[in-house]
Parts: sequence; C-alpha cells; structure tokens
Amino acid sequence: MAADVHKKKGWEVPNGSLAPGDGQHAERAESPTPGLAQGTEPGAGQEGAMFVHTRSYEDLTSPEDGGVAARSPEERQGEPAEPTSMEQISKDFSELSTQLTGMALDLEEEMRQNKEGKLEPSPQAARRDSVLSGKEEEDVTMDAWRMHRKHVFVLSEAGKPVYSRYGSEEALSSTMGVMMALVSFLEAEKNAIRSIHADGYKVVFVRRSPLVLVAVARTRQSEQEIAHELLYIYYQILSLLTWTQLNHIFQQKQNYDLRRLLAGSERITDNLLDLMAHDPSFLMGAVRCLPLASSVRDAVSTSLQQAKAKSLVFSILLSGNQLVSLVRKKDQFLHPIDLHLLFNLISSSSSFREGEAWTPICLPKFNSSGFFHAHISYLEQEMDLCLLLVSTDREDFFTVSDCKRRFQERLRRRGVYHALQEALRTPFYSVAQVGIPDLRHFIYKSKSSGLFTSPEIEAPYVREEEKERLLGLYQYLHSRAHNSSRPLKNIYFTGPRENLLAWVTSAFELYICYSPLGTKAGAISAVNKLMKWIRKEEDRLFILTPQTY
Amino acid sequence: MAAAAAAGQEKQLAPILLSFFIYNPKLGPKEGEEEKKILFYHPNEVEKNEKIRNVGLCEAIVQFTRTFSPTKPAKSLHTQKNRQFFHEPEENFWMVMVVRNPIIEKHKDGKPVYEYQEEELLDKVYSSVLQQCYSMYKLFNGTFLKAMEDGGVKALKERLEKFFHRYLQTLHLQSCDLLDVFCGISFFPLDKMTYLKIQSFINRMEESLNIVKYTAFLYNDQLIWSGLEQDDMRILYKYLTTSLFPRHMEPELAGRDSPIRAEMPGNLQHYGRFLTGPLNLNDPEAKCRFPKIFVNTDDTYEELHLIVYKAMSAAVCFMIDASIPPTLEFCRKLDSIVGPQLTVLASDICEQYNINKRISGAEKEPQFKFIYFNHMNLAEKSTIHMRKTPSVSLASVHPDLMKILGDINSDFSRVDEDEEIIVKAMSDYWVVGKKSDQRELYVILNQKNANLIEVNEEVKKLCATQFNNIFFLD
Amino acid sequence: MSREAPPEEEAPGGEGGGERQGEGGCYLALCARPVHFEKANPVNCVFFDEANKQVFAVRSGGATGVVVKGLEDKNPISFRMEDKGEVKCIKFSLGNKILAVQRTLKNVDFLNFIPDSPQLEYTQECKTKNASILGFCWTSSTEIVFITDQGIEFYQVLPEKRSLKLLKNQSINVNWYMYCPESSVILLSTTVLGNVLQPFYFKSGTMSKLSKFEIELPAAPKSSKLSLSERDIAMATIYGQLYVLFLRHHSRTSNSTGAEVVLYHLPREGSCKKTHILKLNRTGKFALNVVDNLVVVHHQDTETSVIFDIKLKGEFDGTTTIHQFVLPPRSIQPYQIPVAGPASVTSQSPVPCKLYSSSWIVFQPDIIISASEGYLWNLQVKLEPVVNLLPDKGKLMDFLLQRRECKMVILSVCSQMLSEPGRGSLSVIATVFDKLNHEYKKYLEAEQSYTMVVEAGQSRNNPPLKRPVRTQAVIDQSDMYTHVLSVFTEKKEAPHKFTIAVLMEYIRSLNQFQIAVQHYLYELVIKTLVQHNLFYMLHQFLQYHVLSDSKPLACLLLSLESIYPPAHQLSLDMLKRLSTANDEIVEVLLSKHQVLAALRFIRGIGGHDSISARKFLDAAKQADDDMLFYTIFRFFEQRNQRLRGNPSFTPGEHCEEHVTFFKQVFGEQALMKPTTF
Repeated sequence: MAADVHKKKGWEVPNGSLAPGDGQHAERAESPTPGLAQGTEPGAGQEGAMFVHTRSYEDLTSPEDGGVAARSPEERQGEPAEPTSMEQISKDFSELSTQLTGMALDLEEEMRQNKEGKLEPSPQAARRDSVLSGKEEEDVTMDAWRMHRKHVFVLSEAGKPVYSRYGSEEALSSTMGVMMALVSFLEAEKNAIRSIHADGYKVVFVRRSPLVLVAVARTRQSEQEIAHELLYIYYQILSLLTWTQLNHIFQQKQNYDLRRLLAGSERITDNLLDLMAHDPSFLMGAVRCLPLASSVRDAVSTSLQQAKAKSLVFSILLSGNQLVSLVRKKDQFLHPIDLHLLFNLISSSSSFREGEAWTPICLPKFNSSGFFHAHISYLEQEMDLCLLLVSTDREDFFTVSDCKRRFQERLRRRGVYHALQEALRTPFYSVAQVGIPDLRHFIYKSKSSGLFTSPEIEAPYVREEEKERLLGLYQYLHSRAHNSSRPLKNIYFTGPRENLLAWVTSAFELYICYSPLGTKAGAISAVNKLMKWIRKEEDRLFILTPQTY
Repeated sequence: MAAAAAAGQEKQLAPILLSFFIYNPKLGPKEGEEEKKILFYHPNEVEKNEKIRNVGLCEAIVQFTRTFSPTKPAKSLHTQKNRQFFHEPEENFWMVMVVRNPIIEKHKDGKPVYEYQEEELLDKVYSSVLQQCYSMYKLFNGTFLKAMEDGGVKALKERLEKFFHRYLQTLHLQSCDLLDVFCGISFFPLDKMTYLKIQSFINRMEESLNIVKYTAFLYNDQLIWSGLEQDDMRILYKYLTTSLFPRHMEPELAGRDSPIRAEMPGNLQHYGRFLTGPLNLNDPEAKCRFPKIFVNTDDTYEELHLIVYKAMSAAVCFMIDASIPPTLEFCRKLDSIVGPQLTVLASDICEQYNINKRISGAEKEPQFKFIYFNHMNLAEKSTIHMRKTPSVSLASVHPDLMKILGDINSDFSRVDEDEEIIVKAMSDYWVVGKKSDQRELYVILNQKNANLIEVNEEVKKLCATQFNNIFFLD
Repeated sequence: MSREAPPEEEAPGGEGGGERQGEGGCYLALCARPVHFEKANPVNCVFFDEANKQVFAVRSGGATGVVVKGLEDKNPISFRMEDKGEVKCIKFSLGNKILAVQRTLKNVDFLNFIPDSPQLEYTQECKTKNASILGFCWTSSTEIVFITDQGIEFYQVLPEKRSLKLLKNQSINVNWYMYCPESSVILLSTTVLGNVLQPFYFKSGTMSKLSKFEIELPAAPKSSKLSLSERDIAMATIYGQLYVLFLRHHSRTSNSTGAEVVLYHLPREGSCKKTHILKLNRTGKFALNVVDNLVVVHHQDTETSVIFDIKLKGEFDGTTTIHQFVLPPRSIQPYQIPVAGPASVTSQSPVPCKLYSSSWIVFQPDIIISASEGYLWNLQVKLEPVVNLLPDKGKLMDFLLQRRECKMVILSVCSQMLSEPGRGSLSVIATVFDKLNHEYKKYLEAEQSYTMVVEAGQSRNNPPLKRPVRTQAVIDQSDMYTHVLSVFTEKKEAPHKFTIAVLMEYIRSLNQFQIAVQHYLYELVIKTLVQHNLFYMLHQFLQYHVLSDSKPLACLLLSLESIYPPAHQLSLDMLKRLSTANDEIVEVLLSKHQVLAALRFIRGIGGHDSISARKFLDAAKQADDDMLFYTIFRFFEQRNQRLRGNPSFTPGEHCEEHVTFFKQVFGEQALMKPTTF
C-alpha cells in the first residue's frame, strides 16, 4: 500500500485525476486511494473547509496569532477589551460565573445522560457541582494523589497557584513555587526548561507569559502531545478572559491571584482534561460529525443559514461532541481548537438544558483579544441537540434568540425533525458495518476539511481503562508519526493486545486497530477495504458542503 | 541534520559534553558548605559559584520529582540548549552529565543564528553512556564508598580526578547510539569441537598456573569464554575492545606473520606476547605491573591483577588475586606454557573459522543491515557498525535512521511483552524492530519501493538465515 | 622340552619358591583348579596331548590302565587296553572319537570310542619304506598325520571299516616336528642343521605346504650337526596371527649380551618374516608361554618371569621391532598345593608348591605341567598388580586395553586417577579418555558397518560377516558414567573447577571421536554447574551447543527456570532446533500463559486448523486477561466461520462455558454474526 503511495508520488497528482473508489483503478493499486491530493481525500469538503486546519502544533504556539486572524469591522466595534474597563471584565466575568455556578445541579438529569452515555461529565465535575471546594479533601502527600495519571498545574510568573487538577492550590503552593523557581533558573541562563523525565512519568513545562503550565503525566504520550494539551488549558483560560485582559491583569499586579477571577470555572478545565483523555478529537485536531444522511444535513444547514442575523459569525448545531452542522460568515474560519473549547463548555454542564444561556466567550484562535457572545440552548428537552449561535454584539440577545426560533420553525417546516431524532438514536456507528472481522476500531482524518470519523468503541474495549488504553495507543502512534525531527509515513505495530497501523499522507491520516492475530496482509487488505467504505459513506460521515450565510 | 547537507551555508554543530560532575549532598549539608558536596567537576576551570549553582539545580530537580515519585526521581532534564542526565549509582552519590543539543548554525543577513535541535539526543543512549562511566570507573577503582573507607573524601577525589580526567576524553558523544544502550558482547561463532579444545586449553592453563582465578578467552575481539560473571565481563569486554586492543593493533598488524619478538631472541617458537605487563621478558629489569580490576563488588568484592596475553588473533585474560603480585618468573613461566599452545590454538581457530565461513557462505557482505541483542546473555551482533576503532564505533547508516532505532528501542522497553514495530521513514527507508522474549532485532531495509508484506518477507528471510537456531516469535 | 616327562629330570624340590614376593605385585599366577594326575614313575607314564589338552596316565604291567584328564572335562575317562608293549605316544582324536596309540616305530594302532561301533583295535603302518614314525597328530576327529623321519603321511580314519585311507603324503627329511593345534599347522625341522623349517597347513582333508623359512642361528655352526633344537622353538597365535617363537640364547648383535626371543610371523599365505625381537637381557634356562596375547618368558635361574606385548611400541629398525619387557620381572604368584587325599589323613597345612622347578614342563600356549607332582595348570595374567607397576598411565591403558579381562581394572584406574592421592593431571586424564574412546569408536564403527550390511540384506550372499564381538576393552559412556564419573562427582572432594574440567575433557574426547554424547553426561555437567551456581558457565556451554540438544535436556532446563530465568529461553531455543518438538513448544508457551505466542507459532507451522479451541480458550481464561480471551475467542469464531461457514462452536468442541463467559464479559452482541463473503 505504502509502496504505491510512494511510487505514484501521491499528492503531486492533480486533484480528482485519481478519483477514489474508481473500481478499475482499485484493482490495479493496493489502495483505492493511492495518492490523494489534499482536498480529494474521502471527507474532503468541496468549497474549502470551515476550519483553518492545523498541520502542526506550531500554529498554536504563538500567542499573538489570535490577532492575526482577519476581523470584520463589527467585531472591532464590538470589542470590549479597553484596558480601562477592569470592572467591566469582572462584571462580564461575574455574569459568567453566576451562570456557571448558579446553575442548579440536576442530578437525575446527569444520571439519565450517563445511562444513555451521551456525555459523561467526569466524577470530578460532578463533585465540583456538589461541593464547590471538593479538592481540598485530597491529601497531596498520599500515593493516591501521586499516582493520578495526569496532573496539571497552572501558575503565575509570581509562582502563585492558578489551577491544579488534583489537590488544592493552597496545599500545592510550595510545589508550584519550586516549579517557578526551576523555570526562572534556566531563563536566567538564557535557556528554557522543557521537561523532566523519570521512570514511568514525565514533567512537562509550557511557558505562556504571564502563565506557566505544568503537567506530570504517567501516560504514554510524547512530550509534544502533553504540551499540546497544556496549550488547550491555556486557551481554555483565555476563552474566559481573553489574552489581552490576562496580560493586563498581571501588568497591573505582578502577584495577582487569578483564582479569584476563575473561581467556579475549574469544572470547565477539569472537564476539558477528562474530555481529552477520552475523545480523539483533541489528538486529531479535528472535529467529528454526527453520522447523518446528507439530505437531512443539507436541510439543517440551509435552515441554519437562513436563520441568520447581522451580528452572527457562526451558527453551530451539535450533538454530544459531534458536529451536526456549522454555518459561518464568509471568510470567517473557525479553528478546531475554538470549536473544541465550545464543545467542552457545553459538555461541562448539563445546565444549558434549562432555557437559553447568553454568555461572553473568547475564541482564542480566532481572536484572543476579544469576547464574542454565545447563545446556547437545546432544541428540545429530550433531544441531545444543542444550538450555538455566536454573535459579536453583547446587546443582541433577543435578535439571536429569535434566530433560534426561526431555525426551529424552518426545521419543522422542512420536516427534518423526525429524521434528526432517528439519527440521534444512533449517534455512533459500529465498526461491524465495515465488514472486516479482524477490524476493531479506526480513526480517519481528512486533512483538508479538518474533519475525522471513527466508529463507536466496542468490545473488547468495554472497560473504561481499556478505552483510555486504546486512545493511548493512538496517541503513541500519532506522536511517532508526527515526531518533529523524525516523522514517519507508516507505522505497523504488533502488540500483545492488538495490532495497529498508522498511515499518514499529506491528504489524510488513518489509524486502524485490529486483532493481534491479524496478519500484515490482512491489515493491508483491511485498509483498502476501509478506504473504499469511507469513500462510499463519506457524505454521511462528513460535511462535504460547508455553508456560509 | 539531513537539511544541513542541503542548504550550503548551514553548519551542523555536533553535540558536545558541556559538563560532567559527581556530588554527594550529604557531604556539605550546611549553608555555605555546598562546595564540599562536589567530588569531581569537569571542566575544572568553571568558577566555583557556578559549580555550586549547577549542582544545586540538579539537587532541586531530583527533590522536586520526589514529590511525585519518592523512589523514582528524575533521570534527565530537557532544556532548549542541552540535556542533563542524572545517575545515582551508589546511595547519595550522584553523577551528572550535561550534553549540549546539536546546533544548526544559519546565517541571517551576515549574523550567525543558532538553532538548537531539541529532539536529536536520545535519553536512553546518553543515560547508558553515563552508567558506563560509572561501571568503567568501578572496574578499575572499586566503588565510591570503598574509596571513602580507604582514604576518605580526599582519596576518592584523587581517584575520580585521575580516572575521569582521562576517561572523559575518550567519550565520543556524537557517535553514541543504540549499541551504547545495549553495551553488549559480541561472541565469536565457533564449532563445537574447536570450542571444546579451547575449554580444555583454559582448564589446563588454570591447572598449571594455579594462581589464576578467572580466565577469559577472545578471538578477533570477540568473546569465546568468560570465567567472570556476566556484568563484570560486560564492562571488561568494553575496555578490551574499545581501549586495550585498539591500542595494540598496529604492532599486531605489522607482525601478523612474523613473530613480533625480534627484540627477544630465542623465543621465536610462538607469537605470544603480553598486552599488559612486561614487554621484554629477557630484560631482568622488566616491570611486571598489571592493571588492577575489581569484580563482584556487590558481594565478595574481589581485587585482581589483569594479565592480557595475546597470540595472533587470540587473546587470553588471566586474572589473579591481587594479594599475589605476579613475578617476572611467573610471567616467563606463563609465556613458556601459554605461548606455544595459544599459537597453535589460534591457528586452529582461524582455520576452523574459515572452513565454517566457506560452508555457511558468510564471506560476502551481509545483505541485511541489522542489530541483534539478547538481554539474557548480552550477545550483540551488528552489521551496521564497522569494526570498532578506539572507543568509537561508526554506523554505516544515516544518523536519523539510527535514532529511529533508538526510538523503537525505548518504546520496547516500556513493556516487557513481545512487540514488533515496522515503520517507513520520510526517507522511504523501512525500519523493523522486533522484540521476542528478551531478544531485540532491528533491521534497516532500503528497498524503498517494497511494501509492508515484502518487508515482512525480507525480515523472515533474515531470521531464517541468521537466527534459525533460536526461538524467534513470528 | 619333550612332550614326555623323563622321570630322571626330577629336581630337588623345597628351596626357592617365591622369595620375591617381597617386591610384591606378582602379575602371573597358576590357575586355582589344576588338573591333578598320578605323578610319573617307572610304572606310570604320563603323556600330554596339546590338541585336546589332555593328560594321559598310562600304567603298564599286564593290561594297560589309562586315565585321561582334561582341563575342560570334569570326569576323567579311564579304560584299559591289552599291553602290547611300551606306549610311545597316545592321543584321542578331536572329540575323543578315536584313540591312537603308537607303540612301534612302524605303525600306529587305533581304537574306536564311538558308541556301538566296532571295538576291535586296528593298525596302520607308515607307507614310506623303512621310515620310522616320529609321532602323529590328529587334525580333526577323523584325520591324522604321521610324521616320519622321511616325511609326513596324511590319513583319513574310517572307524566303521576299521581302516585308514591315505589322503596325501610328502617325503622330506625330518629332524623333529612341532604341531600347533589352534592353527593346525605342523612345523618340520629339516636340513642337517635343522634350522630350515617347513610348515604344513591342514584343513578338512587337505594338506597345504606353506613356504619354508630359515631360522638364523646365533653363531655360525661349527660342525654340520643338528644345531636347532626343538626346545628353543615354540608356535603360538598372538593377536590372531601365528608366530614361530625362537629362543636365541646368545644374541648375534655383539653389543647386547643376554638371550632374546625372536618372533617369525607365519602367515597363511606369503613367506614367513622375522618381525619382533624380545630382549631378555639375561642368560640361562628359559621357558615360553603365551597368555592373553602376551609372551611370557620364565627364567629358571632367577625364578622370575617377564612379559612382552608386541602391540606396545618398541624400537623399529626397519624390519623388526625390538621390545623390552613391559613390567619388571616378577615371580609367579606363590602357590599352595591343595591338600590331597582323604580327610582321614592328618590335616597337614597345604604345601607351598615349588615354582620354576626343573621338573616343570611348559606347553603352548599357557600350560605348565609338573610331572613330578602330577599337576597341570594354565598360567594366568593378573591385571590389578600391573596398575601400580606401570606409572605411565598412557602406556598402562595401551597395555590393559589389549587384555581379555580388562574392563573393571581400567575403570578402577580411571576412578583412581580422578581422586586424591595421586590425582592425574588434566593432560594425562585427557590421554586416557582419548585411548578409551579410540577403542570405543572402533567398536561402534564395526557395529555400524555390520548393521549397514545387514540392512543392505544378505541377498548377494558374499561371505556373511559375523557381528563384531564386543570385547571388554570397549568402555562406553554408561560404563564411565556409572563406575567413574557419577561416583566422582558425587563425592565432592575435588574442587568443582576440576570436576567440571574432567567432565568437559571427557565430552571433548567423545566429540573428537565423533561419538554421540549421551544426555545423562550432559545432565551430570548441568547438575554440577547448578550445584555451584555457575549458571553463566552453563549458559555459555549451551550457547556454543556444547551440550547437544535433546528433549530431556530441554526439560531439565525448563525445570531450572525458577532458579535461573534465562533457562526458559535456552530450552525454547533447544526445542526449536530439535524441530520435532512443536507440541512441546506450544505446551511451554501455554504454561506461561503466552497463548498468543502459542497460537502465532502454530499458525506459523500451519497447524491452526486442527488444534483444540477449548485448550486455548482454557489457557486464555486462566491467563485472566479479558482482552486476550476476546482475541482467542474471536480467532476460533473466525476459524469456525472459515471451516464450517458458521462462527458458532459445535457441541463437540465443549466450549459452552467459554461462550457463556464471553457473553457475560462482552455482551451478547459481541458474538460474531454469521457473515457471507
């Protein structure tokens, strides 16, 4: 397979010339997709993508790039980030926090959702809901605390605790002090600390002035991947504060205790961390769509498109952490990271189910210096369909709320509700549909569209730790394939519990997991079969025609 | 690194040893006494306070990681510019090696710009190098603690200075690779009968030179027999093959077929000569000083004289108790008994070896580039590395591929279950890693157009030809 | 030495005997059970027949009473015959069928001893005119040769007809003759000097003349009188070859005085050659015997004997090999004459027998007769004393390996050289092992070529070669193991270094002779190494396949895993190399819960369609690893699908419990659905 990819110098072939799924061709080549130019791979969007797509982490790492993103005039006037309005910020923020904290916890609701397995707020999040300061209970000197798979700490340059995933910041302030000391020691030498390695765990440092983020991980992830996750945390914080304000605060007060501002938002961060441990979206830097008949999806998109308003930048319909439809302003692109942050915000609380929420939110990859205002609501009580309308105008609540109404109305008129309900009954498809006995699971990412698809994780990965282990294996392959100095095209791994195969081209990435008793020949025919299948199913699994207003 | 070749004016600067130090926190616990902790520091010119600060950093790192794992503290620290490796070979004795990341020197509008390549150094390789530093020190000096007991901190400092001053210069950091991780032993392939002959030769020698405690037998710098325990042999082997033998190569090559004893008349019946100890046995003034080595340091703690005697390509190490100083008479006796027999044996082995080679047809260049290592007996085999020159072993493949091997190796060492990894690098080389019950095999294939199945077949072929006599899981 | 014991030669007995015991180590002895007969005296003549090894006591006066005693036959034959004058010579034909008696110079009388056949004597006169019969000898049960002073006459006796039929005769002047029954060769001394010897060979009715040869006399004969006496000649088969032994009293070669024994090899065809010279380094009265292929020379004056072994190395001068005696001279072991006569007679203590008495008569090969005391012994070589008389272990082995009764002695020598005091050096031990194994290998090869011929089938029936006889000199591995090595390793007196060195030395030697080593030797090595925790040594040995592969060895290694983990790998490798041990490999892997490995292995050798699903599912279940169980279960579901078009298990496979378990862990829906493609 790989051989062909090579021989035919894959991606240099002009688009379309090697139409995938072309049967006769499939006979010749081992792979139905011998060389996919970006944009022709299965799942590639037709009129370009809806996301800026992330080829490598470097995209993320420069704090200013938020600013780089093109901005429409509306935004500029809507931009509230005047340094003066400190109280303004805290006001916005108190609003946010009241919304976050004030949401009455509906335990039954949580339970129900758990049963349906739609979204699983981590026990962590649940605990936070019940007892605000639950963390204090954990004794940071106990092995239990040490043995957590992944610690995450955020601190200010003054060494002040900002966030700790486990254990109270107070109890850890000395430890964080040491962390800061180490960072500054090396900076004093015009050097920069990256990581510490020991048997069974890594300590990874990420420096984002004015913050320092540290992770202590016992996972198989590479240093880069852990750094990547820390950046998510960083952006999560920005999404609540904006980069401009964060810096402003610390310019004002070197040893400001940021927790005062972030109070109550920890659950979002916690949830993000839990999500990253389960959901490959973050690893893939891509978004997964709810499998849906293209006709239905088109109907939904058009309805969204028609329910527009001047201040709207993005209209997003999502279910669980899967995208149903997204409509954007012309030449406004949403970065997958920003979308992930939105997903996380929504999944981190069941309370958006109660009526409509109107909350300021910064989309750091889009513009790290300003707030948008997100209208968040569920379409129906019983339906896991969440509508997210992102507006530039803080005062526009009612207009936006009206958009929602119009959207629902159109849905009804087009009568796609039922079809949607149907689709929601099976939000994930089974790998069995592909019809390859040894195949257990796979992840396929279309690079040009920034979308990926993968089946539900089924037996033998029934237990939670098994699911995490599987993701861990994908992380391992991903990190090797994307190693910054020694990237790889193909990885074939034969392990004690499963065999995996990774295939990375400029157009797509494919990771498959199958029986450890599967042969290599079997693996290759599986890949070919799978690629054919994806091509066949692509309009159901992907959004091929992204809409703009 | 590959890029370095391309862009003309880019320059690649290899990794170098920035500093190497040994300290013991217990020696200077009080404020202002920090200097006392430092037992050895290279480069010595470094200003006192900087020494103290660097030691302090290491202590801090170790302490910090103890909060997350009291028993498994830090092993290495990655920074933008360098990597630091920590090793605690004896309780509270810490060895630290700081290696600068390789640099690409570019020129932006006249000014040189340095780009540190942070992913180039492999932790496992350099940690192993650090551990070998200790093992080698211990082989010739015994443990740190012993030195302290013998002569206090002063003695220890002297020994460290004496040893590392010379040893550190022999580290060739830029050419370290997977083989340094294994630090294996290459065994000489031999038929049963010849091996038995060697056995009975050794037994007879030990009988007639009864003060000999242990014997080791090598041919062509490959081990055939070791009376020492594995771990001691491992480091002794490294010393012999990377230091002692190469130093004696020239005369060896010179006088391969004419006795190298022109200066010693009346002794032309054999080619035997001492690699350690007296050069000229007829000179009554000849000094019989042999290197001392320390073995079994964690139980019986034996101190031995190391006598290395060589005839043609066959080398024998006789190890005798240090309490019995070997006299000139003894050396003469040894020479007269061992010399002739070893000469005969050496030519036997050579003959047999050539026969076997003809049979197995192994003369021609191995078509496979591979590295094999068995953790059980430390057996190591590499068709990637050329013959070791003093302390360097040069790989014949691109460094990046060697690093991929290293990556695969460290992936393997995470779990002790059997695994296999086949990857295709950007250069389109295929690299295969196989781990089967304590054995590791790494193959590099440059059939760029091959596909996975073909690659798999190639490896099968290799196993069938090279390893058909062992149980290799498929 | 005449075949007859002339009474006047009686010697004054008493003195002498074995003064030399003092030096100890008598390696020659008279047999314990001699033949006792009535001692010779004027009225009782004693005859000895070398062919049947029988003593005839003929007492005359009136009718002649004859008592015949042999070494073999227990109860003596006795009969009477009418006295027809002095008996010159009397002998039974082979198997005591017919008795021949010579009374006159002209003829020989015969008497049948065959049941119900004519009992009357009959006579044969020698054909040659006025020739006189020197003697006769039976060459078979019915064939007889008359030796006259003018030639020989070869007859067949027809007992029923009571007559003889002349088969062949040859006229030639004969001084004296000598008969060697083992090779049925008659040697005639001819010519005036008598030193030209003419051999004849007899075989079932035929008589063949072998090429004559001349014995070089010590000194040029002064007169033309008979100068080669039959006393100085003997014939004997040594190492299967017929030799004429000549006792030369005064060595020709001036430099060495003292007598020597010259051996002439007398082949069936071809000419007779002088091959060996045995140096006696002394003069006087000698007598020769050949015992166990050793030439024994008795020296009457010193009352000692020496032995020579022509197989041992001597100095070769191009034509002949000169031998010194193997061991220092020793007297025959002192001998007590058992008290004769009825118990009623006062029980006197047994009389020490006078050794080397002049009344001794020596016959070939190993007979000593004391006519005066009426005893017949055969001479025996005792090996135990030799051990201490031959310090050179190599030579000792060469010597012992040629002896008939050598095994136990050799083994004791081996054990002795391995233990204090006087432990042998490794190189000595090596030589000994090599000598033993050289002999051992020779036998194995003979065996092999024999069986090969047998397997080839006697179809083309060329002379059916007979199975090689296994002499005591063949000391095989089990002998060494049971009598020497295991004992030696058991009593751990020697330092283990030495113990191991010895074992390796033995294995080395076996390999050198390409003898397949038995695994119990390897086990011995391993046991010893393990006892001293020399695991790394063991590992190296196995690495170089010094301990050859075998299932028992592999199992032994497995059993060591608990104390030495690498043993597991070693034994797996061994099983792999055996290539007949695939089942064992699978068992080993399963026992370690390496179910996947086992399955992959079987698939590798293409046996995965026939294996029992249950067995592997059990193993997977014991491994207590759900993922593993799933994998294995799925594997067999797919096998079922492939083989039977349906993933479910048949009742015959007895996997119900596993199916249930699978459902309960992974749920009903995880079961494979019957697919069709």
